[in-house]
Amino acid sequence: MPIQYYIILSLALFCIGIVGVLVRRNVIIVFMCIELMLNAVNLLLVAFSKMHHGIAYLTDKTTTTGSDAQLFVFFIMVVAAAEVSVGLAIIVMMYRNTHSVDVNFLNRLKN
Amino acid sequence: MNAIILSALLGVVMMFASVFTENKIAIRNIAIFGLLILLASNLLNIYTPYSFNVDLHNMLRFDSFGLFFNSIAIVSTLLYVILSGSDIVKVGNYPAEYFALIFFVLCGVTILSSYNSLLMLFLGVEIMSIPLYILTGSDKKNLKSNEASLKYFLMGAFSTGIMLMGIALLYGASGNFNLEMIREKTSIAEFGILAPLGLLLIFISLAFKVSAAPFHFWTPDVYDGAPSVFTSFMATIVKTAGFIAFVKLFSLRMADLGPSYAIILPVIIIATLLVGNITAVFQQSVKRMLAYSSIAQAGFMLFALYTSNDLSTEGILLYAAAYSIATIGIFGILIKMKDYTFDGYNGLAKKQPLVAATNTVFLLSLAGIPLTAGFFAKYYMLASALKSNGSALWLVIVAVLFAAVSVYYYFRVIQAMYFKDGDAETTEIDGTFKFVLVVLALLIILIGINPSILLRWYYF
Amino acid sequence: MNKLVYLVPLFPLIGFLINGLGRKSLSKSLISIIGCASVLASFVVSVILFFDVKANGATVVDYFNFINLDSLKIAFAFQIDALSSLFLLIITGVGFLIHLYSTAYMHDEEPQHFGRYFAYLNLFIFSMLLLVMGANYVIMFIGWEGVGLCSYLLIGFWFKNDNYNYAAKKAFVMNRIGDLGFLLAVFWLIEKLGTANYADVFAHASSLSSFDVTAITILLFVGAMGKSAQIPLYTWLPDAMAGPTPVSALIHAATMVTAGIYMIARSNVLYSMSEVTMNLVSIIGLATALFAATIALKQNDIKKVLAYSTVSQLGYMFLGLGVGAYTGAVFHVMTHAFFKALLFLGAGSVIQAMHHEQDIRKMGGLKKQLPITHITFLIGCIAISGIPPFSGFFSKDEILAAAFAKNPIYWGLGVAGAAMTAFYMFRLYATTFLGTFRGTEDQQHHLHESPSAMTIPLIVLALLSVIGGFVGVPEILGGHHSLHNFLSSVLTTEVAHESAKNTEYLLMGISVAVAAIAIIFAINKFSKKPELEDATGFGKLLENKWYVDELYDSIIVKPNTAKGKFLKNIFEKNIIDAAVNGVGRMINYSSRQLRLIQSGLVSGYILFMVLAIIVMVLIWVNDGYIYKFFYNLF
Repeated sequence: MPIQYYIILSLALFCIGIVGVLVRRNVIIVFMCIELMLNAVNLLLVAFSKMHHGIAYLTDKTTTTGSDAQLFVFFIMVVAAAEVSVGLAIIVMMYRNTHSVDVNFLNRLKN
Repeated sequence: MNAIILSALLGVVMMFASVFTENKIAIRNIAIFGLLILLASNLLNIYTPYSFNVDLHNMLRFDSFGLFFNSIAIVSTLLYVILSGSDIVKVGNYPAEYFALIFFVLCGVTILSSYNSLLMLFLGVEIMSIPLYILTGSDKKNLKSNEASLKYFLMGAFSTGIMLMGIALLYGASGNFNLEMIREKTSIAEFGILAPLGLLLIFISLAFKVSAAPFHFWTPDVYDGAPSVFTSFMATIVKTAGFIAFVKLFSLRMADLGPSYAIILPVIIIATLLVGNITAVFQQSVKRMLAYSSIAQAGFMLFALYTSNDLSTEGILLYAAAYSIATIGIFGILIKMKDYTFDGYNGLAKKQPLVAATNTVFLLSLAGIPLTAGFFAKYYMLASALKSNGSALWLVIVAVLFAAVSVYYYFRVIQAMYFKDGDAETTEIDGTFKFVLVVLALLIILIGINPSILLRWYYF
Repeated sequence: MNKLVYLVPLFPLIGFLINGLGRKSLSKSLISIIGCASVLASFVVSVILFFDVKANGATVVDYFNFINLDSLKIAFAFQIDALSSLFLLIITGVGFLIHLYSTAYMHDEEPQHFGRYFAYLNLFIFSMLLLVMGANYVIMFIGWEGVGLCSYLLIGFWFKNDNYNYAAKKAFVMNRIGDLGFLLAVFWLIEKLGTANYADVFAHASSLSSFDVTAITILLFVGAMGKSAQIPLYTWLPDAMAGPTPVSALIHAATMVTAGIYMIARSNVLYSMSEVTMNLVSIIGLATALFAATIALKQNDIKKVLAYSTVSQLGYMFLGLGVGAYTGAVFHVMTHAFFKALLFLGAGSVIQAMHHEQDIRKMGGLKKQLPITHITFLIGCIAISGIPPFSGFFSKDEILAAAFAKNPIYWGLGVAGAAMTAFYMFRLYATTFLGTFRGTEDQQHHLHESPSAMTIPLIVLALLSVIGGFVGVPEILGGHHSLHNFLSSVLTTEVAHESAKNTEYLLMGISVAVAAIAIIFAINKFSKKPELEDATGFGKLLENKWYVDELYDSIIVKPNTAKGKFLKNIFEKNIIDAAVNGVGRMINYSSRQLRLIQSGLVSGYILFMVLAIIVMVLIWVNDGYIYKFFYNLF
């Protein structure tokens, strides 16, 4: 398949994530939408990795080009996991204090 | 390299410290000692490059710019811990963890000052940000702290997504994460749109980190809601580290970005100056005013992106030092105040003349009054703009006008301290605190008289 | 020797710092010691430098670049040559005596004000030294402004009295008018020659057009008019008598007011190139000399008489400069410094004995009670009147002789002025010291001679007034005029005035005779029967100083005040204030509106960010990327 399909797919996922962040009020869902954005990037990186590998493979059968993007994907997963743990802790803390997981519930800091 | 490894290790050491001692003062002292070691190891790195022999795969590169910034950041942290350490341990029950998190943030900062690959940029930003989410929410029972933490986290994660998309697009165009390779490839890339679009997205996410308008919205709320001690840390070391990352990535890449960069950046600079300065005018809380003022200062630091010449590299380092020192001092005093509004400062000069005097020096420095470090910091920024590009004159004029506006809100504090009657209540202020304040004020004046005493270290 | 140069101004500066900072903690005796010792130390160094210059010639000591621009370098440098070393001696020598005198005169002040007084005085000496030592016009200007500042501070020393403050303000404003001229002249020089160094300026002076030279010299002269109290900027000097009497002696008689003469003598190369300016200088000088002398005839305040006499004597010096007798002018500066400082200090002694009474009509017969003051004051009067062999005779004679060579009318008017000088000085002397005492019982009871700290300076100055003239004995009287030889390295362009020997004898004889007649007439007239009533008719005109102050008030001050009132009440309030406050209000308003964007809702923030991203991408796309994007995609 041409690379453009992957680009469009992952950009679409990314935009769905952004729109989700914008419209949903439940913190957990907002958070999931952000995860969706990250995974769209993962998909794109893997696709690009394959593409660059394929280009390099034509001239050099032993090339490792493209492997760095796949490694990058692992890093993203790890960081996302760390972020999830911190994020969920924050959400739990908030829930303990307010019994609510609405993004707009806490609104004391403004102006 | 030394600083990256040691700061991570020291973070772990701090975590274990709480296992062995409950004594808060001892923990603070361990942290100070650790920072001294960190500083020494970083200085060692300047003279002997190979303390750790690790194959970096060209992902990190240590140059004098990054190492010098590390020194500034570590010294600032050291001063910050000595000044406000006794307040850090008061925030919660497990003070050692706060110091551990501070060390992890420093690890991120040191990565950001030396990254040579987009992967390292991403990791540095995340290592720096994630501990900050925790620090922001460390006052667990305080709803403001909760709210700030949640907002910071959601928006931070969102900006991470933006940055990753940018990195992915850039990779698609160049097939590489290495900055030098990207620089080579993208100029001949056939994927015309991907590289600039990717760079734009990275630009946006970094603009978020340094709170440039219109990506500044998190700043006032987070700075206001977080415990003041950690606001101090976020507003200084973390903020300037963001700029260093920004400058490293973009200072050499302007030409590739096409003509629209020349429109977008000035617009962002002016928007940042406008939002920061104008909104700060009406604030009633000094803490929130300082949050907006930090946005305003970011507007000046953005000049380093607008121009890239010797003057602006020196300027951003000078600005980082001047701004950090002054802000640490101001926040150090703010933490001691019982009332954070302007009225809370009424009559401080009578009760605490020394504190008020040093606070005046810090505020003057932020306002950019001559004979303080802040003046030269601003001067270098504006001078570099004029030097590189004659048509930047109007931008410089706008910046100077906004600097004039900033005098208004900084001087409100001075006015409250000196010219209003009141009973400024403070928590206990000890001799060490005053001593560090005087040291900070002297540093500011010293740099303000002769900035080269700082900058000559850059060229060691 | 070069190594010593910086010490000269350093000592008074240190004295200023110690006394200024420690004025609240140091004791009076310590303050006096520091104040006097610093000036004495400068004097010692000055003497060494003087003999060094005499033996080895001039030196320029370059310290550092004071102003460093691409096209303009102005060094912080001192030039020690014949002219400046002579002035150094006068300033530090007379300055030291006056410091010594002040320790007794000011002794009733509170310690804090006593310290302030000496700090100012030391600062003055420092500035004055900068003025004469500078090797370029810029350094001179620093000193020039410094002495103006000190003069202001010291005139208003007793700042609780509003009249004194007004006098200080007047002095400052009038000086500023002159300073503007000076400053413009320096700018002009720098613009035309690219340097302000004396040596370079004089070396390249010939490349200036005659218009430039005339303009520069006239502007410099305007500066001199302000500082040295010449028509039309002289009215501040009589008012400056509000300051303590030693200050009048030091600043407003011996040193600061002669700065203008120093400056023109220093610039003699330029002045000699412009006939127009030279004529202007001599006419202004002569007019001032006569005009001030007429006013002095009818003044009743002991210090006012001396003040107008100073203005008049300064006029003579300018006459000397104008006719090319630079050495004569400098010579007169020196002798005048001796006898006028003596007269002022004598007056101070009288004033203190009289319980701060300055009106001579209430004195009289003080001869017996104040013997030393009396004798020394008499010597001063004789010296200023130009009776040989006292110092004033030689210097005044040299100026008059040069004036005669230039234009006999100058000489005639000059002698008339000298006669008036002799007359009013002896009117002052006779009314004060001769006759019978006219003050109150209380004052009479209190009359006593001043302490030795005051009388010693009087005696030393009296001695100098007697013998000071012998350094410049003209050749026809069998002298060598050693001053002339000494200064010849600096003042080279002097116009030679050759008159027949007999003529010169005749001129001298006439001027001495006229002065002697005036003296005898004055003593006879006033020792027995002083004028006690207010004058009428022409005398009233003189007593009121020709109403010049009133004239200035109505043609300059009042219209300006009216204009200022208009600007303040109408223009500033309605236009400037409105604009400034308007900007402030606008910022405040926009601040209130702008902060509403900060809604506190995360989704709102993210929406703004997303919108911004979309806008930025769209701007990007304008570069043609949108086309490429679709082209590449499909």
